[in-house]
Amino acid sequence: MNRIQILLQRAAKAPLYRKKFAHLKPGTVRDLRSFSAKVPPTRLEELAAETPKSAGPLSPRLCAGRGPRAIFQLEYDTQPALYVALDRADLRGYVEVLKHCWSLAGLRKGDRVAIFDYGTSPLSYLAASSFTPYLDRGAADLLGCLPVCNDGVANMSPRAVEILRYVRPRVFFIRHDCLHALAVEIERQALRLADYTQALVAAENESLLSDAERSSFEKRLGVPIYRLLRIDAAMFLAMECPRCRMLHTRRDSYFVETLPEEDDAAESPLVVTNWFAGNSPTVRYLSQVRGSLKPSGCPRGPKDLRIAV
Amino acid sequence: MKNGARRVAPDAMDRWPEERLAKFHLHKIRQLLRHVYRQLPFYRQRLARAKVDPEQVKTLGDLARIPTFSKQDVLQEIRRQGRFDFGLETIARRDPAVLCMTSGTLGSSFLYLPRKWRALRGDSLLRAYWWAGLRPGMRMLMAVPAWHSLAVQESRVIERLGVSTVVPWGTFLPRNAGNFIDAISDATPDFVSIFLPMLFAILAECRRRGAKPATVFKSVQSILAVGAPMTPRSRQQLVHELGVGDIFEGLGNPEGLTAMECASHCGHHIFVDCCFVEIIDPKSGAPLPVGQRGNVVITTLIPHGSIFLRYDTEDLGVILPGACACGRSWPRMEVYDRRANEVEIAGQRIVPYDVRICLDELPELVNLPFAVVRGETKMERLTLLMQKPASGNLEEIQARIANLLRKKPNVEAIQEWAEELPQRWKGVTVIEEKDWRRARV
Ligand SMILES: [Zn+2]
Ligand SMILES: [Zn+2]
Repeated sequence: MNRIQILLQRAAKAPLYRKKFAHLKPGTVRDLRSFSAKVPPTRLEELAAETPKSAGPLSPRLCAGRGPRAIFQLEYDTQPALYVALDRADLRGYVEVLKHCWSLAGLRKGDRVAIFDYGTSPLSYLAASSFTPYLDRGAADLLGCLPVCNDGVANMSPRAVEILRYVRPRVFFIRHDCLHALAVEIERQALRLADYTQALVAAENESLLSDAERSSFEKRLGVPIYRLLRIDAAMFLAMECPRCRMLHTRRDSYFVETLPEEDDAAESPLVVTNWFAGNSPTVRYLSQVRGSLKPSGCPRGPKDLRIAV
Repeated sequence: MKNGARRVAPDAMDRWPEERLAKFHLHKIRQLLRHVYRQLPFYRQRLARAKVDPEQVKTLGDLARIPTFSKQDVLQEIRRQGRFDFGLETIARRDPAVLCMTSGTLGSSFLYLPRKWRALRGDSLLRAYWWAGLRPGMRMLMAVPAWHSLAVQESRVIERLGVSTVVPWGTFLPRNAGNFIDAISDATPDFVSIFLPMLFAILAECRRRGAKPATVFKSVQSILAVGAPMTPRSRQQLVHELGVGDIFEGLGNPEGLTAMECASHCGHHIFVDCCFVEIIDPKSGAPLPVGQRGNVVITTLIPHGSIFLRYDTEDLGVILPGACACGRSWPRMEVYDRRANEVEIAGQRIVPYDVRICLDELPELVNLPFAVVRGETKMERLTLLMQKPASGNLEEIQARIANLLRKKPNVEAIQEWAEELPQRWKGVTVIEEKDWRRARV
């Protein structure tokens, strides 16, 4: 059996996909081409609509798992709320992607790294095994870095500045909606940010900082700002490459497609299939992010999937 | 008990006789002293300045010769050296670590927490969750994710017990109360670990949504609440309103202290496997006897990561006299407030908790927000700002409160009513007179 068939078999245990894929005849999906052609994408609204209103399983795509899990409510304003459940193996798969993002951002053994985001963001909870139950090794443990987190609330900016002053992280990850407050605080304290960190990485769920915003903040703060894309419903992470400026992610972790639209735009919505999420299978999740796929071959990650946004 | 549960059930150390505990403490502290003297510049300098040779500490009483230090000293060192690691932390390169921060009005300091620290502190904390009823196979709502130092310990407890955990999106601010309600209703946890102010925010959100708290908490057997002291009546009322089996109050700090209520709810047993606690006179620095209020000074017994040896938490607390009905030998303590929240009224020193106890005598006032107004000059009378209760005769209530306050803590009081206390005052029980006057105009 190939990984597509394994995924579909697993997904068939979840109420959402059982219903959705009922029309698929056995054997019709053999490869990625037939997978894209035959398997319908899943939208966010569908995940919300199919969530049982009361006392059912937590999520319509949740598979019965073995052993204990960490369940995270997701950052979407759907009603009902959405969740993903992750066991040890899922977390192992997820953290590999974050580690990849960290490496691309230039983090190495012995570096310090700061994260200004909610503890419930994968950026934070995958950072260290000490933060999250059942996470055997976090990105910091894998790379040998020392992480420090700050709660992702804009008015915690003074504390973020204390981190910059006294920890001097090589890279500073930040929630997009804390950027402005941090900039204001840095200006208030007349700090030269470049003395304290080498780069900022702005992250957001299913959205990205625009080029205009980025260059305005870069001008204001005097350090490069890279972007990190989270698609939490698909447990997806992709990091902007400092060299080619495209989003990179691990080919072993996801299958990414774009969904062509009628208007023939250069960029189309990204569709993500996740290969590692066993408890919350993600089969062709139609995201709200638009981009276009580019061939691999960047020297910073020759095998990586690359997405231009 | 099932096999899995037996494997992780806490041992009998909480029933060790007093002498055995004292011997254990002396041994641990002497070991720690030698370690900090040899390895940590912060302590070496302090001990040298105080002319204390670690080998001279031969009894627990000798410990008092070592000078205490407080958050202010820590912040001063961080600022002076311009770095988070100023010589108070044991850093073993091979042991992966995280940095956590402590917050406070003075500023933030850093805690270097390696895996070995997490293992020891987390395994100690497991006992608290066990007392509160958490068992293998259950599902629990986690109070804090990732960045908070409690998460470092709590995640270890969760792993050791093999419980599943649910984490609501965001952080524990009132505006996220809806997420907590959703997570509890959707994930139906058996056990909830939470910050007490968040629990009140959830109740307010339930009222706003027209949801019955007991329906939201239907699956929940018990709650472990931290972050603010609860009076006995406040706890009873919460248990009733939420329809849960019981609510346990834990207290502690990342520097070393864990203390936890047992089912008797008579103070908090100090988790002496990881921490040694003293109560000192804030003026003279002399250790105070059992039963007297003073500053809580802690000494961690964990030799990894950031080490706090005779750290004055500047919390106001007491070690309670007598034995607990549960039969456990670990001493019990109460922590009332930050020392900074103490006010002096006609020579009497009181904290808002003393007022809360009186207010809670009146069913209409249980858990209702209030504030103590601190004057700029010497105060002869206590000024109380209270939120109007939904029912009851205000004049009558006022007279009853005045009477109660006259009995204990023995102060005269002036009371003012407010329709609702401004949001920024909620959870802040001492406000300065000048801020109050400004808010009224
Ligand atoms: Zn590249
Ligand atoms: Zn007891």
